[in-house]
Amino acid sequence: MCKKCKCCSKLPWWSKLLIATTGIFGLLFTVYFFNLDMKLTAMMEPWLLKWYDHVDRDKHL
Amino acid sequence: MAKKIGSEALGRFYKEGSKVRTRREWRGVKDTAYDFSRWLVIMGTLGKFIIKPRNMKAMLRYRWMANYLAVPMMVDRHTQGLRGEYLRMCHAEQDLIIDDVAKLLDKLFKGDRRIGNDEEFSKKVVLVDENEMTAVMMGFPMLETLSRETPSTYVPVLLNQHSMEYYMDIAEEFGLAPDVCPMPEAEAGVSINDDAPVLGACAIQCNTTCDGSLLGNGVISKRLELEDGIPVFQLAAPLRHREDDVQEYAAQEIRNAIAFIEKHTGAKWDWDAYFECAKRVNLATRCRQEWLDMNKTDYPQVFGSNLALYTETNYMAICGRVPAFAKVDRKLTKLAEKAYKKKKMMAKEYRHRAIIWGVQSHYYFDFLLWLLNCWGIVPLTDMLSMVSTKEIAEVDTPENREQAYYDMAWLTENMIMRNRTHGGYKVLLDELWDFVEEFNADMVILWEHMSCKALDGMHGMFEDRAREKGINLVWVEHDLFDPRIISRQGVRDQINNYMRTVMREEPIDPSLEVLPDDQSW
Ligand code: SF4
Repeated sequence: MCKKCKCCSKLPWWSKLLIATTGIFGLLFTVYFFNLDMKLTAMMEPWLLKWYDHVDRDKHL
Repeated sequence: MAKKIGSEALGRFYKEGSKVRTRREWRGVKDTAYDFSRWLVIMGTLGKFIIKPRNMKAMLRYRWMANYLAVPMMVDRHTQGLRGEYLRMCHAEQDLIIDDVAKLLDKLFKGDRRIGNDEEFSKKVVLVDENEMTAVMMGFPMLETLSRETPSTYVPVLLNQHSMEYYMDIAEEFGLAPDVCPMPEAEAGVSINDDAPVLGACAIQCNTTCDGSLLGNGVISKRLELEDGIPVFQLAAPLRHREDDVQEYAAQEIRNAIAFIEKHTGAKWDWDAYFECAKRVNLATRCRQEWLDMNKTDYPQVFGSNLALYTETNYMAICGRVPAFAKVDRKLTKLAEKAYKKKKMMAKEYRHRAIIWGVQSHYYFDFLLWLLNCWGIVPLTDMLSMVSTKEIAEVDTPENREQAYYDMAWLTENMIMRNRTHGGYKVLLDELWDFVEEFNADMVILWEHMSCKALDGMHGMFEDRAREKGINLVWVEHDLFDPRIISRQGVRDQINNYMRTVMREEPIDPSLEVLPDDQSW
């Protein structure tokens, strides 16, 4: 929130809600469109696979 | 501009060496907004699942769980290039399947001795095979019917083409012959690697789909019975399922299975629940039949992965037990009728009408959509979707209660894949050519799953018949779960070569002809 002009505090509640909704929508749409969700999970996979190598198992036929 | 079907070159989203695509498709404002809204729903389903500490614990325990990181990408693969009704059909079914698998996983981990260890819940669980009709559970609404193989083996390959390589190697490390079908091989590998959740009052294994699955079942049931103390019933459905003289035996197997479940769970068979499920099975059959009838016309509507993936799930794993699927059956039919009336097409150009036969590669399930988008080949129907169209008894009368055992036996015998790979040359060979005529097809794409002896034995006979009838027959080799043997590009190359050299055609979308997706999920 801008301290100098205090313009944000003067805004009616509905416009604050509108700005917040638009911001969240914009963020989520960017994640969706640029496939950022999959790019992130792709980075997590090698870490998980290494983790599984250390899990104790009763491996036998 | 991208609102128009085929206006974006779909191959441009692939990047060499990457697991994922560069970005999602722009489908015009309306369809992109719709796809975005469904993505939000899927993210919500996944978020709700992983937020539970029990499920997080399972995520860190079971290696196959890592594949579920790729769920949204699986949906993207099956919606490539789709617009309007086709996009909505795909989401209606995929979103439901995702929700259903999330619930299945949640229940498995709730009862799993290593994770949730809810003993009371576990006493109500009956484990079933991955490739097993769940008809025998239609009268047990008070019990939980859970498959361990579906989420640990079958679904992961649809999510990530490389998901089962680790488990196949484990099975071979323990002496399994490498030319065994990768499906039972991977299932056995999961069990050997101690990666199957342990729960349940009892289990029902079935000789679906073949001797390969019997092998896998042997390895799995040894561990279940001798180590985990979970009794297992072997439901041996006849392989010559069209013969009249095997039906009495098949019905008796069903009676025995029901008696076994009652004995080990203390539950009693509920006829009201059974006939309710039977009504939904019949509804699904009627809807599927209507879709297939539309596919025989110039304006096919429910085909490709929209038909294949949904039929497998609905027919086999659900078998009338989940009311939500009946709702989606109706929704899909409504969407299809709407598009049919408007004479809509899924792609910008239809060049060939094809029947897809044989056991399809699971690491490349979206190949059906690729055929359409790249070469304009319409996959009108596939072997795994050509299951029973017989309606079963759905009114509760004394005669129908007796008939019900035969109906459940019929459904079990006619489980996807086994109803064609077993039962003689008539169901595998002769009926293919009947379908070619019925659907007015000019092409047959024949999957040659190199480890499936049931199908490979008839290679020459298929060729003879295709020559006789003047049908273009394209063989496509693959190894079901193992892209190391034949890669996705290896699969595509077989079609590319045929289309260029024999048909002398150019692709509709050249960007799809060669894709750098070897490393992709
Ligand atoms: S693909 Fe063939 S070998 Fe493999 S499970 Fe099916 S019928 Fe058996």
